[in-house]
Amino acid sequence: MRGYSGRVLAVLVSVGVLATALTVWAGVRAARDRPVQGGQLPGMIAVEAALVVQAVVIGVLQAGGHPVPDGILLWGYVITSLCLLPAAFAWAFVERTRWSSVVLAIAAAVVVVLQVRIWQLWQ
Amino acid sequence: MSSTPEASHDGADPRPRAYGAGRALVAVYGILALAATARSLYQLGTKASEAPLPYALSGLAAVVYVVATIALAHNGTRMRRVAWTAVIVELVGVVAVGTWSFIAPQEFPEATVWSHLGQGYGYIPAVLPVLGILWLWRSDPARLVRAETSPRTR
Repeated sequence: MRGYSGRVLAVLVSVGVLATALTVWAGVRAARDRPVQGGQLPGMIAVEAALVVQAVVIGVLQAGGHPVPDGILLWGYVITSLCLLPAAFAWAFVERTRWSSVVLAIAAAVVVVLQVRIWQLWQ
Repeated sequence: MSSTPEASHDGADPRPRAYGAGRALVAVYGILALAATARSLYQLGTKASEAPLPYALSGLAAVVYVVATIALAHNGTRMRRVAWTAVIVELVGVVAVGTWSFIAPQEFPEATVWSHLGQGYGYIPAVLPVLGILWLWRSDPARLVRAETSPRTR
């Protein structure tokens, strides 16, 4: 089981690094008084793709017998982390000021925090 | 964030960009409301009998956050009063429960949103009501009108 957990950790860290990069990117744009731009969409898609991979890996390993003491909570975090960035981008269509960048930075930062919580619950 | 009274001459909105800031605040409130609601439903649904007091408080906090999110987003005359009530209840709640949980930790075997000043949520529950009060004061229509008619009192 040790190797499987290593794989989960690798995916979690990848998501964390990508989401941190997106947080910084959005934070810099917020500091420069710029709204979210279309060019940031690939960044969001990269994080979302990694999150989907993560959900699949967790689902497969859990189905394969990895014991998760608090499954409902774990999946609550997984699903929440999948919804945050699309919501922030939908927000950006309505709010064409620097504050859409603030919202995106916050959403991406929450994704990072959720990765830590998912790892705690997985172990 | 500076807005000058001259800005109104060219037809631009002379108010500070607080409109967007208010929306960002609503976003943070929304995330916290979602987190608190999901968590308390889960706690109350699966293990309410284990720690009734903390879980009941979590449920109460979740309801207040949902109300605050909706009221702040709506921003109408009556909804602003609702928002004022909600953020003040939050501030009182987080300070009271926070203090209580430091004095009598045995009453709180399980963490709530408000225990230890919202430690489990990065102290955001303690900071948010303060930001909410600042925002409600800053975006108060009566205050903005006063500020526009007599710039020196801004």
